[in-house]
Amino acid sequence: MFDCANVEMRERLPELAAGALDAATRARVEAHVAACADCAAELETLRLVRAAYTNAPVVDVRRIVSALPHPPAVSRTASHAGPPVRRWMDWRIAAALTMITVGGLSVAVARRAGSPGAVDSAGAQTNRDSVVIASTAPSGAGNSGPAETVHVRRPLAPTRASSQKAQLSFGGGVDDLDRATIEALMGALDEIDRAPVAPSAEPDRTPVLPIISEGTR
Amino acid sequence: MGQDREPNDDSTDLDLIARWKAGDERAATALVERHAPALARFAVSLGQRSDVEEVVQDTFVRAFGSIESFRADSSLRTWLFTIERRLILDRRRAERRRRDDAALDDVNAATEFDALDGMVADEAQTRVTKAVERLSRLQREVFLLRVNQGLSYKEIAEIVGSTEGAARVHYHNAVRAVKELLYV
Repeated sequence: MFDCANVEMRERLPELAAGALDAATRARVEAHVAACADCAAELETLRLVRAAYTNAPVVDVRRIVSALPHPPAVSRTASHAGPPVRRWMDWRIAAALTMITVGGLSVAVARRAGSPGAVDSAGAQTNRDSVVIASTAPSGAGNSGPAETVHVRRPLAPTRASSQKAQLSFGGGVDDLDRATIEALMGALDEIDRAPVAPSAEPDRTPVLPIISEGTR
Repeated sequence: MGQDREPNDDSTDLDLIARWKAGDERAATALVERHAPALARFAVSLGQRSDVEEVVQDTFVRAFGSIESFRADSSLRTWLFTIERRLILDRRRAERRRRDDAALDDVNAATEFDALDGMVADEAQTRVTKAVERLSRLQREVFLLRVNQGLSYKEIAEIVGSTEGAARVHYHNAVRAVKELLYV
């Protein structure tokens, strides 16, 4: 058996065997094969090969289709219904509750810090030797007197842990300081207040409002 | 209302893909019916001994799962063959690792085709399959894709990850080898 010299026709033989040629080309190739013993023998070999390998098992189309993923449109629809939306709502509710809680605490702290007795109260809380059990702010219109803070000596002897903690602390409260020290500290705070403010790296969040002159109205 | 149309043989692969993307699951059935038999034959021609349906199913699952990456530069069938070939090679590698068996290389690939013995009907076909068994793996893939599927060298090159010229050389070498084994 030899190879046909007509390369074009020979190249078409596998396509002829596979039935992959259009009608016109198929007619031309078949005409050539009818007149060419080499191409006829090669085509016969190729047909034998096809016959040997076409006995593939039959597959169950329904089973394959059932294993396929859902179309993107269906998946998108499914993802927008039910649990994900509820989860998003849950997050929004949780965020709102957090904001309310934090806001309420902030207001309470701000009010407390703004009350006249706040400094004494804070100082007393840092004093390891006393516990604040009551702090009376001035009440009623016209009552502008100082707040009264009640200190009670800590009745229990300091434990080993608390004594170590005391040693690690920076010191007592404002009550432990004498008048001269307090005045020196207040002077230092005034110096800090008078110092020029360094430019901040944070962007200025002050909203820029358009300036509308009287003439443009 | 085109959505309610029953997919038929006139629909192109691209039409069916578009309809499946839009939510028409019947388009998937039409695509599977159209390409599953060829994929099964290709799996067998690659030496897949068993689990042919599983391989075909995995091919479709992977293809539909990444349908967005199908650019239609080649035909859907070529793309499916590429996926299936990779799957089969991966399975074979995994199986080889598992069994720590002898290397199933290009030279010693004849054992892949033992299961085909029961499929061939007569002596002529047995001789043909034995001749094909002796080809290197790449020669055999190119040869069978050309003869069984009628694919062009360009499509075959895409599937096997080669060049068009190399695919042509592999095909002609395979034809010569098969003819020598059969008739000499």
